[in-house]
Amino acid sequence: MSETYAVTVEDVSKSFGSFKALNGVTLRVRQGEIYGLLGPNGAGKTTLIRLICGLLEAHAGTVTVLGQRMPQVAVLRHIGYMTQQAALYPALSVEENVRFFAAINGAEDGVKQALELVQLYERRGSVVATLSGGLRQRCSLACALVHRPELLLLDEPTVGIDPQLRVQFWDSFRRMAAAGTTMIVSSHVMDEADRCQRLGLIQYGRLLAEGSPADIRTQGGSQNLEEAFLALAGRNES
Amino acid sequence: MSGHRIVAITRRLLQGFRRDRRTLALLFVAPIVILGLLGYIMRGSTSAPEVGVANQDSGPLGAIVADGLKSSSHIRATDINAADGDAKLKDGSLVAYIVLPSDFSQQAQAGTVAPEVHLEGSQPGEDAPVIQALQQSMISLASRVSGRSVTFQFQVKYLYGGQNYDTLDYFGAAFVGLVVFFLVFVITIVSFLNERSQGTLERLMASPLRRGEIVVGYMLGFTVLALVQAVEVLVFALAILHIHNQGSVFLIFGMEALMAIAAVNLGIFLSMFARSEFQAVQFIPLVVVPQVLLSGIIFPVSTEPKGLQWLSDVLPLTYAVNGMRDIMVKGADVTWPSLQLDAAVVAGFCILLIAAGTATLRRRLG
Repeated sequence: MSETYAVTVEDVSKSFGSFKALNGVTLRVRQGEIYGLLGPNGAGKTTLIRLICGLLEAHAGTVTVLGQRMPQVAVLRHIGYMTQQAALYPALSVEENVRFFAAINGAEDGVKQALELVQLYERRGSVVATLSGGLRQRCSLACALVHRPELLLLDEPTVGIDPQLRVQFWDSFRRMAAAGTTMIVSSHVMDEADRCQRLGLIQYGRLLAEGSPADIRTQGGSQNLEEAFLALAGRNES
Repeated sequence: MSGHRIVAITRRLLQGFRRDRRTLALLFVAPIVILGLLGYIMRGSTSAPEVGVANQDSGPLGAIVADGLKSSSHIRATDINAADGDAKLKDGSLVAYIVLPSDFSQQAQAGTVAPEVHLEGSQPGEDAPVIQALQQSMISLASRVSGRSVTFQFQVKYLYGGQNYDTLDYFGAAFVGLVVFFLVFVITIVSFLNERSQGTLERLMASPLRRGEIVVGYMLGFTVLALVQAVEVLVFALAILHIHNQGSVFLIFGMEALMAIAAVNLGIFLSMFARSEFQAVQFIPLVVVPQVLLSGIIFPVSTEPKGLQWLSDVLPLTYAVNGMRDIMVKGADVTWPSLQLDAAVVAGFCILLIAAGTATLRRRLG
């Protein structure tokens, strides 16, 4: 794997009032890898993703994406962002939603491929308001990847969807990574961690550990990732 | 019915308001602002309408009536030449002028006087103090004419409007624009908040879209809807309600379009200060009602207390309403300087709001 980094986060801190959401986080995401941001709810995963796509500005430290220091509007056309909630226009159809996000990214020719990738091409005429949560998540994913971004930020993409669909999602992620897309996927579900090439464990706004799932198991002293995470979290607290 | 469960619902409701201080503030501030304004407009007025008096009477009685008018508290009367009267009504320096004819004293001695009352007539309510002042001075005249009673037959002439105009004709011109302004404002502010609450705005901000592109795109989208609505309102007002119209339908439509664009941008701008649809709805009485009270729709701006007149002069709706009346009641065309000023101010306000909306739409969330 190449040692070129798609994302570099250097000693980044971010506070909201007196609450420190991120505290001196440093991590690097290689080009073309699936990087898992793992941690409990409120750990700082979403804040980190928002910093990476320029929606927030760090109080200290630097975030560099695809060679550009963030926030930088020009980089945004190369980023796809799937928010935690399926942020869609409920009165529009699946295709109209995807077509809109394609248009604002100047990539109308990618609509059919994106719909096929998330297996929604047959349902493209359905109005989003009438779809189940899982189908909405798939539509949301299609909107995030329709312009074939170099970096895809997926904030808890599998929350609220059934195990079968989750498997399909991860198949899609793997195919995209194989095609060269860098992916940062946040999750608080440990069984998803094994599907990532590298992991960053976050708790209380700090990076507890970083490495491949095997590295994390070794660092945590357990064959079970969840136990390894709890062990690392416990060491951090003590 | 369980009293306990009902109390639980009531308590839950009040607890929610306790934490939503903005809504709470609006809930208690809005009625004071609205009622305070209404009270100040209706009771605080110190400015009487400007009225010209052309005393052409060769006898002594015209001077008595003219002096009576000048000392009246209902109007501010000044001497004018009757030939200048219409010009002064047109340029807005007078709301009315009264001509006491050369044989006025003789008429009084004969028992019937017929002074001419020339009213500007484009706004309802401005003629009442003029007639009141004239009636009072006529009563003082009657006491000077000994031996017989005097009948008054005012000859009222309107520069605009007239006796065939009813209340709807005067208010209709303003309301045609107001309906579009109000509804477009409400739809825009709620839609833009939806964009925020459903998370799509966050998505847009993480895309290469520029802030100005979002604001102008929104503006164009809602303007299309608003223009269709403007056509509907106009057709209904003219063809079904038969509201009098002296001007060009295209000019009315143009002014409505400007008002719609102003409303869209006001909605986008103010949505930045609301966090929920609930809070956005609170803006309606606070933003729209004072404008309705102060823009001359109901109470002529010239009869407001001086302090409020300054406020009226900076509100876009004042110019929009004035423009609509200029077109529909006075028959103004594009060569009228007053209509040019009205359109320019509303257009300037649109540009200012586009800039303000763009500036407040922050890419970074915190």
